[in-house]
Amino acid sequence: MNLTIDAKSPLPAYQQVIQAIKLEVLSGGLCDGDLLPSIRDLAKLLKLNPNTVAKAYYALEAEGFSENRSGSGSRVRVPAGRRDALRQAMFENELKNFLEKAVSLGFSLEDIQQFIERIKNEPSHR
Amino acid sequence: MNQAIVETRELSFGFSRKKVLDELCVSFPESEWAVIAGRNGVGKSTLLRLLAGVLFPKSGTIVRAEAARQEKIGFISDTLSLFEDWTVERAIAFHCRAFAVDRFDDRLFTRLGLGQTVRIKNLSAGERAILHLSLVLSQQPSLLLIDEVMHMLDPYIRDLFIEALIEHMAAKRATVLTVNHTFSEIEKIPERLLVMDGGRFVVDEPTEALGGLMKKVISREPLPEALPCFFKKTDGIYKEYYIYPFREELRAEHGLEFQDIALAEIVKAFIGGGYEQKRMA
Repeated sequence: MNLTIDAKSPLPAYQQVIQAIKLEVLSGGLCDGDLLPSIRDLAKLLKLNPNTVAKAYYALEAEGFSENRSGSGSRVRVPAGRRDALRQAMFENELKNFLEKAVSLGFSLEDIQQFIERIKNEPSHR
Repeated sequence: MNQAIVETRELSFGFSRKKVLDELCVSFPESEWAVIAGRNGVGKSTLLRLLAGVLFPKSGTIVRAEAARQEKIGFISDTLSLFEDWTVERAIAFHCRAFAVDRFDDRLFTRLGLGQTVRIKNLSAGERAILHLSLVLSQQPSLLLIDEVMHMLDPYIRDLFIEALIEHMAAKRATVLTVNHTFSEIEKIPERLLVMDGGRFVVDEPTEALGGLMKKVISREPLPEALPCFFKKTDGIYKEYYIYPFREELRAEHGLEFQDIALAEIVKAFIGGGYEQKRMA
């Protein structure tokens, strides 16, 4: 697993944990049914308050992203179909942010399409 | 809210005529990591000593939960004082007797490759800190009071120190109270920041909310009086104004650029000398 926390980020640590675990699931690093690290282990690994990790785990469980049956630890509950839907939603969200930024810098959609064409035709992208 | 593990009621303390704590009321719940910041000599260590039961209130009271009876309070002072001529072994035996400890937890100490026949005076600052931490963790404390010792640790020992605290907190739901100057490494850990000034806490906020409550304005011109300026640094051409409590409406009302501040910067600003504190009424 490749989980990291950015201490400089204004995003609260528990939200960073949620995002990091979701990314790990979406990228295939964690699969449906996999056991998440224990709260204690992840807290030590990321140098976080155990309460912060617990809060992230509760939020993931509340979203139906994982479940903790019989208290034996949190397991990922994301079937392949749902994973693809989530991946698409995350990408759309990123794209939307990107477009908003581009428009605020004064670029039109046509400009962006031209940029994409140009990058596509660069030798390294063929 | 979890049950309070320790709380102070109108706690006052002073040395001769100097008032250090002024009717301080504060409460720390179970399983919380809180950081106390503030200028040097402002009373942070004094408060820890009072909570630890090493000093006694001049007036007011300290109420401890049953879980935080004397032998379940782990206190590490910034002086890390032990009898210099004793061996580690003797210090451990003494501490275990004094705090009714069954078994000394030697895991950290062994990881440093240290034996128990060494004399205290031959330990490095980092080794001393780890010995202290091992001693107090052996108490299985429900309340850990740790004065600023992290700045004297090298990065490896500091990691060891912090991991052991996290481990203990996870295992025992302990409350951890640290006084910190060097803060960046543990920036994301504490859930509460308290800033002490004038014998009281002038800031007491959840760290998650603090980013939204405290902003910085950098300006060459003085700021409008109406802004809640908590303190300012005015030694350069560009003055820095720390706004607290910040509200989103202030952006529209004043048309200034309110910048986000990292927690470590907030703590550093409160410690450093280059600011003029504007006392809260």
